[in-house]
Amino acid sequence: MNLAKTFSKGIINENPLFRLMLGMCPALAITTSVENGIGMGMAFTAVLLASNVVVSLLRRIIPESIRIPCFIVVIASFVTITEMVMHAYAPALFESLGIFIPLIVVNCIILGRAEAFASKNGLVPSVMDALGMGLGYTLALVTVSAVREVLGAGTFLGIPIIGLIDNPALVMILPPGGFIALGCILALLNKMQQKKAQSN
Amino acid sequence: MRDISIIVISAVLINNIVLSQFLGICPFLGVSKKVSSAVGMGLAVTFVLTFAGMITWFVQQFVLIPLEIEYLQTIAFILVIASLVQFVEMVVKKTSPDLYKALGVYLPLITTNCAVLGVSILNIQKTYGFLDSVVNSFANAIGFTLALVLMAGIRERLEDADIPASLKGLPISLITAALMSIAFMGFTGLI
Amino acid sequence: MRDVLKLGAFLLIVAGIAGLGLGYVNSLTAPVILAQEEENKISGFQEVYSQAEEIKDESAKYLPDGADGIVREVNVAYQKGTPAGVIYMVEPKGYGGEIQMLVAFDIATKEITAIKVLSNKETPGLGAKCGEEFFSERFQNKSAEGVLELVKQEPVGDNQVMAITAATITSKAVVEGVNTAREHFVSNFL
Repeated sequence: MNLAKTFSKGIINENPLFRLMLGMCPALAITTSVENGIGMGMAFTAVLLASNVVVSLLRRIIPESIRIPCFIVVIASFVTITEMVMHAYAPALFESLGIFIPLIVVNCIILGRAEAFASKNGLVPSVMDALGMGLGYTLALVTVSAVREVLGAGTFLGIPIIGLIDNPALVMILPPGGFIALGCILALLNKMQQKKAQSN
Repeated sequence: MRDISIIVISAVLINNIVLSQFLGICPFLGVSKKVSSAVGMGLAVTFVLTFAGMITWFVQQFVLIPLEIEYLQTIAFILVIASLVQFVEMVVKKTSPDLYKALGVYLPLITTNCAVLGVSILNIQKTYGFLDSVVNSFANAIGFTLALVLMAGIRERLEDADIPASLKGLPISLITAALMSIAFMGFTGLI
Repeated sequence: MRDVLKLGAFLLIVAGIAGLGLGYVNSLTAPVILAQEEENKISGFQEVYSQAEEIKDESAKYLPDGADGIVREVNVAYQKGTPAGVIYMVEPKGYGGEIQMLVAFDIATKEITAIKVLSNKETPGLGAKCGEEFFSERFQNKSAEGVLELVKQEPVGDNQVMAITAATITSKAVVEGVNTAREHFVSNFL
């Protein structure tokens, strides 16, 4: 597989959230504003990139039978580093993402990529894989949070949208809104795929 | 006593772990096709979450805080939970084959259930004492089981419904969850 | 058996390296985090009470039973060595949980200088508006000597505060927080 393909598959064909249905918890919880979505996506990408690099470099040293605990330690370390850096330099974002920063540890995508890709591939493909998956997940989070922020708060990245700001549909930024937004986006994607399949 | 009842009501109904805090969404959507498997998963989570709440509390109070390494919390907790799941699996397998038959397939899935790690960290963040932590963990697990079983009940019925093709599968489950979440919002203000 | 030991040792080394690395990063970020929290606290204090030369946390003296009730902190603002104002941190219970807020009083004028909601778990778009300026402004320069009363129309009396539309419980909580601080202020500083 060439590098460009390794990179781009994470964005569309194997998008972690929309296609593989992984990492749902943060996608529902923190997508109340586009800013949160971008912040979470960046934190996630940083952890995924770092863990893919380390796992790929150590893939010949780590004994087969204890690889999962080793991966978990590596991922948890990078999550903790990300958490500390965010706490120090982006405290507002740290507050609003809250518990979901440490919970990146149990985001199945990262362990999944370490196990399925980085432990079997060299450094460069692993980096491309992490960047592609990270970007794909970030785009997915931004999509969900854009729908929720625009409809629920009448703003986009905090900028008021004329006509929507006066009477926003509050429910979209409350917990049910997360389920509604993601459900409708997935349904829309299904519809598009069916159309494509029919026309072929 | 009043505090404990508030913790329980808040964890089970008001801030339901799945429907309002969004922890444990993966098993909530993945293992809710049948009521029987939902009950199994719920029991397994209840078991592990309660023990995890206990052990992580001890780890925090008697290891991390005295050594001043609270920043290793995430790493320590995830390792504790992973070992706990393994241990529970071994013990259940040896002592009660029947229980193992019922819970066995769900146990390995729990390590990556963010509800377990999430509640353990929240217990510490809310500065709960030991009893409060255990009660909160148990109550959250009950909340998880409740949401899971309700969801499974609805999905069993959905099987027979005529759903538009593009909504089949996950989208309709998410929208069902949204309606349940709205219903649970009605509990806010109960305490 | 030897294999188990070897694997255990490997895992221990991995965890050890991770621990050391994290310790190092922590030693870099911890001071930044601490400085930032301190700065936030001070800028919060300054927002509600700007004329202080020095602010001291005297919770131990004024809250003998510890942080009992909803008053969490009593900070005294000094001017030329004498107390000039008091900044309270109170945590009344709102609709979705505790509302953490600052309430500041001036001793000379016996008035509320300002209030500031630091954090809340209220419903976004409804109760969460209690953190916005339009609401906190309604408390400014109210006398500390009378009980504040929450009303739903434009206030007529001096001690009345208008609630946030569709967020009565939150508004009540904020008023309760201010009143509790006010009582403590009147009985301890006037």
